[in-house]
Amino acid sequence: MSIVQFDNVTKSYKSGEHELKALDKVSFTLDEGKFVVILGPSGAGKSTLLNLLGGLDSPTDGKITVNGKDISTLSDNELADYRAETVGFVFQFYNLIPTLTVYENVELVSTISKNALDAKQMIAEVGLSDHLHNFPSELSGGEQQRISIARALAKNPKILLCDEPTGALDSETGVMILKLLLDMAKNYGKTIVIVTHNQSIAKMADVVIRVKNGKIRSVKEQENPMSAEEVEW
Amino acid sequence: MLIRKLFRTAWGYKAQFISMILMITLGMGMFLGFNMEWKTIEADTGKFFEQTKYADYRLYSEKGFTRDELNKLSSIDGVDAGTRFLSVNLDIKGEKNKSLALDVSEDFNASVFIVTDGAEYDENSDDFWLSDKFAEKNDIQIGDELTLEFQGVDITGKIAGLIKSGEHMICVADKNQMMPDYSTFGYAYISPKKLKKAVKAKLKDTMTGELEKSGVPKEMLDESVERLMTDTAVGEAVDKVYCQVNLLSALPKEKLEDKVKDALGRTIMVTPKDDHVVYKEAMGEAEEGKTMGSVLPVLFLAIAILTMVTTMHRIATKEKTQIGTLKALGFKNRRILRHYTSYGLFIGIAGTALGVALGFGVCKLIMSENGMMGTYFDMPDWSAAIPEFCYPVLVLTVVLLTLISFLSVRQQLKGTAADALRPYSPKKTRKTIFERLRFWDKLHFGTKWNFRDLSRHKSRSAMTLFGIVGCMVLMVGGLGMRDTMSGFLDLLDKDISNYTTKINLADDADLTKSKDLYEKIGGDWESLCGISLDGDTVTLDIIHNPNNMLNVIDEDNNRIKLGDDGVYLCLRLKDKANIGEEIEFSPYGSNDTYKARVLGYNRSVMTESVTMTDALADRLGIEYSISSVYTDKKSDEIAGSELISGKQDKAQLMETFNSFVEIMDSMVIILVVAAVILGIVVLYNLGIMSYVERSRELATLKVLGFRNRTIGRLLISQNIWLTFIGVLIGLPAGVGVLQWLLTALAGEYEMKLMLGVLTYSVSILLTFGVSLLVGLMIARKNKKIDMVEALKDTE
Repeated sequence: MSIVQFDNVTKSYKSGEHELKALDKVSFTLDEGKFVVILGPSGAGKSTLLNLLGGLDSPTDGKITVNGKDISTLSDNELADYRAETVGFVFQFYNLIPTLTVYENVELVSTISKNALDAKQMIAEVGLSDHLHNFPSELSGGEQQRISIARALAKNPKILLCDEPTGALDSETGVMILKLLLDMAKNYGKTIVIVTHNQSIAKMADVVIRVKNGKIRSVKEQENPMSAEEVEW
Repeated sequence: MLIRKLFRTAWGYKAQFISMILMITLGMGMFLGFNMEWKTIEADTGKFFEQTKYADYRLYSEKGFTRDELNKLSSIDGVDAGTRFLSVNLDIKGEKNKSLALDVSEDFNASVFIVTDGAEYDENSDDFWLSDKFAEKNDIQIGDELTLEFQGVDITGKIAGLIKSGEHMICVADKNQMMPDYSTFGYAYISPKKLKKAVKAKLKDTMTGELEKSGVPKEMLDESVERLMTDTAVGEAVDKVYCQVNLLSALPKEKLEDKVKDALGRTIMVTPKDDHVVYKEAMGEAEEGKTMGSVLPVLFLAIAILTMVTTMHRIATKEKTQIGTLKALGFKNRRILRHYTSYGLFIGIAGTALGVALGFGVCKLIMSENGMMGTYFDMPDWSAAIPEFCYPVLVLTVVLLTLISFLSVRQQLKGTAADALRPYSPKKTRKTIFERLRFWDKLHFGTKWNFRDLSRHKSRSAMTLFGIVGCMVLMVGGLGMRDTMSGFLDLLDKDISNYTTKINLADDADLTKSKDLYEKIGGDWESLCGISLDGDTVTLDIIHNPNNMLNVIDEDNNRIKLGDDGVYLCLRLKDKANIGEEIEFSPYGSNDTYKARVLGYNRSVMTESVTMTDALADRLGIEYSISSVYTDKKSDEIAGSELISGKQDKAQLMETFNSFVEIMDSMVIILVVAAVILGIVVLYNLGIMSYVERSRELATLKVLGFRNRTIGRLLISQNIWLTFIGVLIGLPAGVGVLQWLLTALAGEYEMKLMLGVLTYSVSILLTFGVSLLVGLMIARKNKKIDMVEALKDTE
């Protein structure tokens, strides 16, 4: 059953007198519960795609349907609700609130999400129960990213969107984070979309979408994806 | 190239740059404006006093001064010039409620005037020289005729010229009038020759009357009068009229008093110019300006400079990577320092230059012919003057601002280029004591977030708080000053003065005749005369108030029923004696000394005074004459008498006070408007800084699904918290500053701090209003935050 559908989606930006098409009539569908990797070089349009899917931006043209709802025409407040209920974000640079503790950062989402999960449990699942009252600045990069995952999942979203989640981490920590993401997604039955330029990560995916110059080059389903431990960086 | 970068960077930080320039402009403008005000008063009035040979000393004698005595006084070593002088308030014939102070400066070498239109002074002339402001207000032209009633004799003449005189620079009828009112009171000069003519006419009338009474036949009257009107008789009558000698002398008062005593062989009341209403009020006004100028505007400047420290430091931190890039490119530290230091210099020069312009504007708004003081002072020159200490303050401000930039950048330049290129990492967060308390976990995340943001950015929070406190202090100070003044006038109108008309009696009015007149009119009476108390000149106020038309109030503004066993000292004389102790004083013009026990202290409206009942004065045997009668009769119900020198409606008198309150209102408006602008600029600048620093966090909240309104509320609530604390500190601080100001001004007024509910409410509401407005302005920005861009950078 498809959870995401892009129909002829175009996103263009005006740069002076020129118009730059970041995405050009992109169409694809994603099935629920899949681990999807969007792969492409810098400037290919993969982050734009993720931002549109995450409701951070609206398309110039076309239609995006998520969980049966057209999100391309939503108002600011409706988009905020969509972000609060349907999607969870994991960023390259974690984006935790530096003035809130680990627990507060995760618990924060319970104030906006109706189906939020227990913050302490989520932190325990990412293995950081001992750091409940630490501030982000007291944690390593990998630990911060684990909290970021816990926060994203605590909203209990349908889709987890990850923008280069291992980009700022060393390979060992990167593997650990990817494993955690996969395990959590499996345990909670989430769809995961990861945007990356790292070919190795693509080997773990159920579906690999290749993007170049704002267009979809290929959508490939992999029957036997590798586990995180098997992937070579 | 770097200059281009300077302007582009300034544009990039336009909100901060404009705020900083605005704050310096405002701070400098207020500082200069208020300080220029008092300096301009000092300079311009000083110039005018010199121009019109304003007397340094006034000698008074009820018996008058002879020509011979004047010569003796003039030849005292240390006396530069002297003249017999007359100044008497006279009604204008045929005009209701219009009177003039008629002046004669016999030798015209002291207390003279300058002609603004018409003929120059001529000692043989038969004309008048009239106050140009009075002429303008009453539509009187040169050549028009004027008649004054002088002791039952008409003095008539044409207006030869229009003038201004230092003696009447603040043209008030008496010490109790606060503001000039040229539509009802002005002044005029005549020549001594014309005065002599009037005295002669009066003498002739008196002699004719007396001869008629003694039965001299009508046909012989003229001849008998002619025979009696000898030069000696006329000379003696003229001598009697000149009750005053005005001197120009730099001698100290005590020395002059001794020399006068030696020269004339009797004690004469010598009053220095400091005791003359015009000089006293003008200097009081300057002193008041000095006091005001030393507190409130300094607060403006301090807030501006302190906010600059925070802002410049933040900009330098933000520019860290750019600084690293310049270093990596091979720019020497010195050049980078010079470049970034020029930011402060640029802000300093621009802000100071605009501040000077604003300062001149503020000064002109107060001190110019059409400005607030235009109705108070009547003088020809209104050139703005800057106190000398302001020049170093101007330079130091620019230097200080440059230094602030220098130090902020120098901190970023420490270490290698790579260090500088490494992004700014926020300080580690530590838990405060509040966070360890149980209730902490129960707080909303927004509360925790805001609390930690405030405690993490202490200097920014402190500056914001300082700005709010400053805004509050300025508002409470400004509005409270007005409240206090209005309350004081209200007290004067309702509690102290309960009369309808004040009747001023002639200086030489006989006591028995005056008492007869009082019996006819009814009401209360008062006698004012100069006494020496511990070497100071103060007023002895003898009061007869069985009808409570004129009242005396205590420190708590309650009416005092005056006792006959002792005297009351005004609050300014409180340190002279404790209650129960005895004071010793001596009336001017007499060698007698009197002792009296102090019964209490009273709040005096204008003069420094010792108050007693007429019963005590009679018992002590003090000689006095009635100065004024206070009655509930209307002015036109009171029959004319040669004893009466003038009449004043209380309503009219209160009207002049209202003009004074109007001046105060304008000053208060300047202060409040400036406080509001200052509040907006400081809060906006720091708010923007806070917003920029938290933009990543705000974007994160947006990405997580927080609505714009929720985030906006978070931003506003931080401002509201700070405003709440600021108001809590600012309110008592404002009252404290006001109390300090009143204590500093106590030499001039005995006002009790009075603050109305409206002042508290307006100050609090305006401060919260400013905070809310700025909060909304910043919260609006949140809508436009680009989530994608804000989250791209590393932390």
